[in-house]
Amino acid sequence: MSASVETHGFTENAEPGQLAGRVKEFALDAGADVVGIAPVERWDRDVPEGHRPVDVLPGARSVIVVGARGPTAGAWQSPNHRFMEVNGYDFRNDLVIHILADFIEAELDHYAIQAPALSVSGHNPVMSMMHAAVLAGLGTRSLAANIILNPRYGLLYYSACVTTLELPGDPMLEQNVCPHPMCVATYRKIGKTPCIAACPSDDGGCLDGEIDEQGEISYSWYDRERCTSRAMNFGINSFQKAMAEIVAEDDPDTQTNMINSDFFTRSCSAISFFRESVAQCFECMRVCPITRPERKLK
Amino acid sequence: MSASAGVDYGTCRQELDKLARKGGAVITGVADATAFTASPEGQRPTDLLPKARVVYVVGGAQPRAGDWLSPVYQHMETTSFGDRMHNLAQRLSRFIEDKYGYYAICVPPGTDSGNQPFVSFARAAELAGCGTSSLAGPVLNPEYGFMYYSVVISTLPLEIDGPLAEPVCPAPECREMWDDQGTTPCMATCPIDDGGCLGGRLENGRIAERRYDVARCSSRVETSWVPGFQKVLDATLKEKDKEQQKLMLYSSLFSRTLWSMTYANVSQGQCFECMRVCPVGGKHRLKK
Repeated sequence: MSASVETHGFTENAEPGQLAGRVKEFALDAGADVVGIAPVERWDRDVPEGHRPVDVLPGARSVIVVGARGPTAGAWQSPNHRFMEVNGYDFRNDLVIHILADFIEAELDHYAIQAPALSVSGHNPVMSMMHAAVLAGLGTRSLAANIILNPRYGLLYYSACVTTLELPGDPMLEQNVCPHPMCVATYRKIGKTPCIAACPSDDGGCLDGEIDEQGEISYSWYDRERCTSRAMNFGINSFQKAMAEIVAEDDPDTQTNMINSDFFTRSCSAISFFRESVAQCFECMRVCPITRPERKLK
Repeated sequence: MSASAGVDYGTCRQELDKLARKGGAVITGVADATAFTASPEGQRPTDLLPKARVVYVVGGAQPRAGDWLSPVYQHMETTSFGDRMHNLAQRLSRFIEDKYGYYAICVPPGTDSGNQPFVSFARAAELAGCGTSSLAGPVLNPEYGFMYYSVVISTLPLEIDGPLAEPVCPAPECREMWDDQGTTPCMATCPIDDGGCLGGRLENGRIAERRYDVARCSSRVETSWVPGFQKVLDATLKEKDKEQQKLMLYSSLFSRTLWSMTYANVSQGQCFECMRVCPVGGKHRLKK
């Protein structure tokens, strides 16, 4: 009996490149904007044990990484900053991974799971989606808070599928996406790139960095605590902060006012099902030239 | 032909409608983005998207006939909400940008600061010709009655549908009831002068006056969800008896409120009684 599995017009025993192409096509159809594949061996060099794909799925061979755009070009145009806070992210990348994992298990007969990207203890994720995106050739780290920039879309939200299906890996990017030539020119002129100028760590901001003579990042630094307090001023963090103050308040009337305040209401909405206000600051990305052509519409 | 630079706007509308219906919308409409003059400044489409030309409205996700039939009222609490329309609007905004190259934004369904909407979905639905406002509050579509709406603002210059010429409410049955009894089905089921939320007056078959107790209605429609959580949290923190406080934390109300807010999105809306008796769209609630 043949072990091959008929799947949407091709078989599991198809040539690996063809299989990878079909998997990518499937992910793009499901809503991904970019897809990349990395063999699990790429995690061995820099990633500590416990955070590699084989640690979350025994026998894992490949990691399929998808990226999805956040705000629409129209949203970037909006002068109401609250709009981006609320609508900045639609979690489409997570949905794509679920659809893809279902496809691989049901039709290709291999194990497939969503890579765990949230922290289970402390603040470290089980697997870094930023690193996965780099290893799958989808982007490189930037001066802007280490955000992984895709050469076409710039800021993307990433999720990954870990699978026992062996697929040929995509090459990692040879050319760093950041700094953009325009940013190098700006740095040569004023000593700062657009993102650093928008949020300079020496003037109350979060970012600092240097570019060497070859036009590459030679030093980068970002104030994570400061950035988090701005990029996530609603959400679980603000809910916890508000709760600590509410519980500690001795005056009953003031406490009631705090519970019904605009701030606490918005914090509750942010952690609710509707996921309002999951990110509140996009200023370093707003000035990033990588995405500009994609954001220029009629 | 309504075309510019290779884009046929009539075809755009057809493609958008096709995608909307595939995604669950039963009604679509287009409003003029500059027609929101009755909205406060800051809540007009052009305040959110400079150079906005149109507001594309999708409506649907209304309770099914079986939902209305269920004798378990909690069933309606846990299954009726508009997030399907919101997800659809997000897809449509992306589609407009990717396919036609015009700016598009999906308006968030939640509220901005001060519990104010970014843009009134009800006004958008009215200006797009999806329905008209009712004595009970919701915008009623002439064919389907109550439904949930979502809104996309865009620079894509689609042809404007504009508001309906005739109001959907009061329906002929309600006008008859007013003539006989001096009330309508929705006002009779929730009378503002007898502990309810709705009041009003018809004149010559039209709404002449409308009274609506928004605070009372909110406290009934949103007994769980964020307002419910705030209420139960306040009561719990004020409790001095530690054992009683623990019971309140583990109570059914507190649990349901948390379920309501978090990922399970249970119990977004808890009172449908004025819509239950509304005759508009009633034929779609009758099945075998």
